[in-house]
Amino acid sequence: MRHLLGYAIRRFGWMLLTLWIVYTVSFVLMRSVPGNPFSSERTVPPAIERQLRARYNLDAPPIRQYFDYAIGIVTRGDLGWCLRLEDYSVNQVLAEGFPVSASLAIFGLVFAIALGIPAGVISAVRRGSLADLSMMTAAVLGIAVPNFVLASIVILLFVFMLPLFPAAGWGTLAQIVLPAFCLGAPVAAYIARLTRAGMLEVLSREHVRTAYAKGLSNRAVILKHVLPGAMLPVVSYLGPATAGVLTGSLVLEKIFAIPGMGSHFINAALQRDYTLAMGMVLTYTVLLFLMNSIVDISYAVIDPRVKLQ
Amino acid sequence: MTEPNPSAPLLSVRDLHVSFQTDDGLIEAVRGVSFDLARGETLGIVGESGSGKSVTNLALMGVIPTPPGRIDQGKANFDGHDLLAMSQSRLMAIRGRRIGMIFQDPMTALNPLMTIGQQLTEVTRRHLGLSPTAADRRAAEMLEMVGISSPGERLGDYPHEFSGGMRQRVMIAMALSCEPDILIADEPTTALDVTIQAQILELLAELQQRRGTSIILVTHDLGVVAGVCDRVLVMYAGRVVEQATVGDLFAAHRHPYTLGLLQSLPRLDRDQSTRLDAIAGQPPDMARIPSGCSFRPRCPVAMERCETDSPPLRELGPGHASACWHDDAAAAKRAAANADSPSEADR
Amino acid sequence: MTDPITNWTPSGSSAVASDRPSLEQLAETERRQVLARLLDESREIRGTSLWSDAWRRLRRRRTAMVSLAGLIVLIILAVLTPLLPLQSPIDKDLQNRRLLPPEWSSVTMGSREGLGFADRSLVAELRRFDAEIDDLRRRLADTSDASARKDLENKIRQRTEIEHPFNQLWNRLGPVSWTMCRMRIAVFGDYAIPSLFGTDKLGRDLLARVFWGARVSLVVGVVATLVSLVIGVTYGATAGYLGGTVDAVMMRIVDILYSIPFIFVVIFLITFLGEDTVKAWLQARGIEQITIFYFVIGAIYWLTMSRVVRGQVLSLRNEQFIEAARTIGASPARIVFRHLVPNVLGVVIVYLTLTIPAVMLFEAFLSFLGLGVAPPDVSWGQLLNDGVEALSSVKLFWWVVIFPGAALAATLFALNFLGDGVRDALDPKLKNRD
Repeated sequence: MRHLLGYAIRRFGWMLLTLWIVYTVSFVLMRSVPGNPFSSERTVPPAIERQLRARYNLDAPPIRQYFDYAIGIVTRGDLGWCLRLEDYSVNQVLAEGFPVSASLAIFGLVFAIALGIPAGVISAVRRGSLADLSMMTAAVLGIAVPNFVLASIVILLFVFMLPLFPAAGWGTLAQIVLPAFCLGAPVAAYIARLTRAGMLEVLSREHVRTAYAKGLSNRAVILKHVLPGAMLPVVSYLGPATAGVLTGSLVLEKIFAIPGMGSHFINAALQRDYTLAMGMVLTYTVLLFLMNSIVDISYAVIDPRVKLQ
Repeated sequence: MTEPNPSAPLLSVRDLHVSFQTDDGLIEAVRGVSFDLARGETLGIVGESGSGKSVTNLALMGVIPTPPGRIDQGKANFDGHDLLAMSQSRLMAIRGRRIGMIFQDPMTALNPLMTIGQQLTEVTRRHLGLSPTAADRRAAEMLEMVGISSPGERLGDYPHEFSGGMRQRVMIAMALSCEPDILIADEPTTALDVTIQAQILELLAELQQRRGTSIILVTHDLGVVAGVCDRVLVMYAGRVVEQATVGDLFAAHRHPYTLGLLQSLPRLDRDQSTRLDAIAGQPPDMARIPSGCSFRPRCPVAMERCETDSPPLRELGPGHASACWHDDAAAAKRAAANADSPSEADR
Repeated sequence: MTDPITNWTPSGSSAVASDRPSLEQLAETERRQVLARLLDESREIRGTSLWSDAWRRLRRRRTAMVSLAGLIVLIILAVLTPLLPLQSPIDKDLQNRRLLPPEWSSVTMGSREGLGFADRSLVAELRRFDAEIDDLRRRLADTSDASARKDLENKIRQRTEIEHPFNQLWNRLGPVSWTMCRMRIAVFGDYAIPSLFGTDKLGRDLLARVFWGARVSLVVGVVATLVSLVIGVTYGATAGYLGGTVDAVMMRIVDILYSIPFIFVVIFLITFLGEDTVKAWLQARGIEQITIFYFVIGAIYWLTMSRVVRGQVLSLRNEQFIEAARTIGASPARIVFRHLVPNVLGVVIVYLTLTIPAVMLFEAFLSFLGLGVAPPDVSWGQLLNDGVEALSSVKLFWWVVIFPGAALAATLFALNFLGDGVRDALDPKLKNRD
């Protein structure tokens, strides 16, 4: 338990450092764009411009802005106002987009795990069989086909040719199926390959022979002695997988017109909404840090030889 | 335990053949091995790596990975049943329950992700149907028996928290926790320090005396054989080339390979200036076993006949057999020597 | 890790030396010859072992070899694209050719009315245009008046640079591509391959666009990977070679960078770079946006490379054969180039082959989002973006996504397979296994 606490504190420290770096770089870039954010827009009446300048704290010297903004984030969790979405604060956008993206990501990940692990286990146990061959071919395809290509294909197949699912939108279960599938497919493919390789590796270890020599059934050996060890590479992959899912949700939210963080982020980027984009980058950093920490901890839970660092 | 016929061997292996399909072609790892194991006996199996000694035992336990491995033919009669013809589920009831096995490398033979306690109780709960608490108690007893201090606390430890010798003790405890009739020990001391080796061997000998377990001890170390075994099989290239009691093996060995093994043993009583005589040449490539006697390319006394015919394992005396064409000549010579000086031959 | 190849030089030469007369007994010149021969021998031994060994291993993997062959064909086709009788990748035909399904009927180059070509043929138009230029040139030769000459020169330059018929059919051809296009016209005339892949929503030929897109996608993949290579190897080798505190600090920085969601940062950066004022600032300094794009992508893929190189250098630094080389008096430069570089090269090549598909995928991803390669440049990601936008219509325009998607997927597929094969062939950890 002491390990865990120390680990959590250290990780938190690194996260703050990382966030600070991201914040500083973003801030410098944001403020080094010549002119003020509204100069390129239609002419704004002076009264409104004054109001806007006050809202974005543009009258303060840059250093002052830097600290005010940072203090706002740290003390109130306030990421400021969007530059382009009128009368929306970054927090509001996040609050709207986050649940949508999170559920999409969770559906995608759960789907990937539920599909990838059994596929990997079966191909390892029935190595060389037709099932193994076809599943591993599918896995290579899943890795090579980018998810936006996959998305286009499934839209062609299941929206236009066989109208089983709606093309876009958010809210019903039917609308989640296709994007979650496209999001999870590459991850599932990786997980299946990692599981299979891990299983084969553990199966060749001597302690598995010991387990058989103890008279355990095949099933018990696979489930109790092989699978946990085979899961280690899969667990360490879940960190990158989360990053992949977050990235993938950018395109999929765009293709399927889902109002999540990804769509907002892309719009922010396309419309040069710096405050929104920065708030999103910071949020994504925190998410990734959290996920990586969870992965580290679960790794240490599974493998007692690993010490959290 | 009462046995209808105490003189019948507990385990009787006949003409065992095991092969592996590899990239280099079919490898016949075991080519017609036969032996008996009596109740309470310690049988040593010696030979170089690749001689088929481990494969023989893995085949008996039914843990040869198939494919690429395959048991081509043979019988292994254990307590009235053929181990090699048994269904997996029946074999499972015997493995760990009536035949225990310990492996060469205790560093890798234990599951690193499970506590010692979990691994120990797994066997007794499966075979003896013990409750979790009873299994824990039993596990602690077993650890105590193999000489691990404060066993109750150590049940929750993971293998990496034990030293090599301690892990081998755990392995022994695990293999013996259902009080099996046979313990197969596959090079149990090879991976250990010399001092630890002695402790482990002592432990095995002591446990055997206490429980009357039969032991098959696979090793390439003749010193170990001398210390622990009653009888010895010498294997070469998948065959038994000599079979003898420990006394005969050291005093009246017959096969040139056995002689080679004995000569390559460092000895304190030998002249320090003479070099150790390693057996010339390499162990055979199992994918291309020489015709005739497989030891011929390395044999200092090979004859013409050795090139064409493979010598069978022939009884030379009670409990002593060897597979060498020279035995014919030797038998003749001995007969002549007997006639000359009967007193010497009586010995 | 025992590596037979890298251990060769010192032990190999001493072994060879032992069955020759001892060096002291030889005259100076002979001694030099012997040493030179030994050096050559040792070089040969290493040269054949490492690379031919890896090549042999790679050749045994059929998937990797098929992928390699496919990629070579792809690269040749991409390089030769201007020579192929393809239709124009940028010429739009909103009236007649929007979203045509794949078809077999051939198209005459320059036949679209809107182009206003002579005889509605590119060849005829070129002839007319060249005659016009020749005419201008003749007039230039005839004129002696300085200001009139200048006028004519300007006119010629403007006509050839801007009003040339090629500029209506192709986007900013480089000098080499320009020559190739000329050759293609000379060989094939007005013939153009039919729209086998159909046309897009602006009536452009998809086959031509996929081919021209391959050039951009491949160049991005290679250039960005090279950028990552330079950064990663320099950083990793420095950290590994210096070791100690410097190494610890440098690797800690890499750790921090690892935990930043880079893709989002890059999108943020591209946002910044896309700002009009920034664009103008860059253009004023002659920096093209696509160059920046290469560097930005390359700059995020160096982390793994630096870690791997650093690990390799660090472990090699303490290897015995380096010690051995040092004790026989090899100079540091020799140690670095003869011992470290060949050993590090293996892992570098492995990660190069694995980075290229990752970078290409990322480019496609960004272009798909409209944040990458900007029109009129074409890339596969962009084609897919166009395709997906065209999808949400009543009719089934499958060809607009299937063909670019298949091109991208097949390339990534081949690159992944090749990368796996190369890794297995070169990975020193697997080396002694078979």
